[in-house]
Amino acid sequence: MAGYGYNFRSRQRGTPAIDNTLFIKGVALEYRALTFIFLSVCIMFADSRFGYLEKIRFGLGFATAPVYWVADVPTRVSLWIDDVFVSRTDLLQENELLREQLLISRRELQLVDSLISENNRLLELREVTQSIGGKVLPAEIINMSPDPYSKRVLINKGARDGVVIGQALLDANGLMGQVHEVLSYTSWVLLVTDFHHVTPVEVNRNGERALARGSRTTASELELEFVTQTQDMRAGDLLVSSGMGQVYPKNYPVAEIISVYADAGQDFAVVKARPLAQIASTRHVMVVLEKETAPIEDSSIRDPAAAGAEADASLPLPVAQGQVIRLAPTPDDR
Amino acid sequence: MQKRAHAIWVIFFSFFVAYLLAIVPFPEWAMNYRPEWVPMVLIYWVMALPYRLGIGSAWCAGLLLDILEGSALGLNAISLVILAYVTLSLHQRMRMFTSLQQSGLIFALVGLNLMLCHWLQIVTGQTINVSLLFLMASLTSAVIWPSLFQLLRQIRRSFDVH
Repeated sequence: MAGYGYNFRSRQRGTPAIDNTLFIKGVALEYRALTFIFLSVCIMFADSRFGYLEKIRFGLGFATAPVYWVADVPTRVSLWIDDVFVSRTDLLQENELLREQLLISRRELQLVDSLISENNRLLELREVTQSIGGKVLPAEIINMSPDPYSKRVLINKGARDGVVIGQALLDANGLMGQVHEVLSYTSWVLLVTDFHHVTPVEVNRNGERALARGSRTTASELELEFVTQTQDMRAGDLLVSSGMGQVYPKNYPVAEIISVYADAGQDFAVVKARPLAQIASTRHVMVVLEKETAPIEDSSIRDPAAAGAEADASLPLPVAQGQVIRLAPTPDDR
Repeated sequence: MQKRAHAIWVIFFSFFVAYLLAIVPFPEWAMNYRPEWVPMVLIYWVMALPYRLGIGSAWCAGLLLDILEGSALGLNAISLVILAYVTLSLHQRMRMFTSLQQSGLIFALVGLNLMLCHWLQIVTGQTINVSLLFLMASLTSAVIWPSLFQLLRQIRRSFDVH
């Protein structure tokens, strides 16, 4: 029906251009708009302040699943093309490389067994029980937040696969973030580099504790908060998760300190760190399904009380733990 | 309303494509220049078929966009409702505009939409962005509008959507 078109010619041709569209506005339009705005404000308030609408979000998530699926098609096709049209020599080279890596990993795993038992003995001495590893679920990053200041990614595992809010996300190199919204087939993960995200960490070298907050800028960086001028931190130090806050398992590598700026006139030093996880480039990640909550709870309750006294005693331990845990999530764990 | 709806699936499909384009990952530097596909498609359909799409459909479209972007529920809904309201009250004038005038109006409307979203994001504590570079998206939207308009008009006529 070209009669409802807005080109001038068709109106002149005598089609009934004066139609109901003339009368759809009026008082009703303003009231309708105001009603919907009011409704939206209510929804926004209920959603962001109280979280009443988890169910609705979850339900609407079904409707959005196909959009995510189609949006991911180009990436999958290009991956498929990469797989199919790869030369034999490339494959052989890759195969050789993987074999080498496997060999190295096997050797490290052999050491891990002895380190685990040694570690457990040491931990028993400290009356802390802690299991290493945990079940992991392999996942893929299929999208990321359209707002460059909000650092979140979408993974292709959701409530159907047993993902719940608060689970940690890792890649092969380190901690990436935590699940903060679960839909049925997908979930949103808040990255450690997001400004709203604070990771409790400790320096692997000496056990100094700190809080690592995501960067305020679009850069993929972490800033250590409230680090006093006297704390021993250097560029190049490895930061591992300290297990406090009970969200992350202990001793996963998080970041590497890139700069320490201590201005005598300021209260705190400015310490910046680079996340170890390949946030921008990797697609393959792991969700840690089982957290060792109970033991960590014990240690984190104990820790602040005896923080000063314990700092010296715990010196040799984090080093050993860090080495062990970094190798823990191997494919054998699934 | 006054007639049986015809080929409504075309509208749904165009929204589906708009959603896709809105969430397809972009390189970091291009994020601020991504045209606002969903508001533009909404403006088109409200302008062309004001008796079919109105404030209610804009609200639903906004809610779906909120879920897709993982933002606070109702954020895009508010801004799209306001967008639909302005478009509904201007649609007869907009049809008479030249494409340059339309682009100018789209620039203003999408800018308004972006600014509203930004304010609401700040209110709900979702972003800490203080630079106004995100407004560049309204410029790219205005540049793209004439071709999008032609395309959607072709589609609407060939499928006889009403």
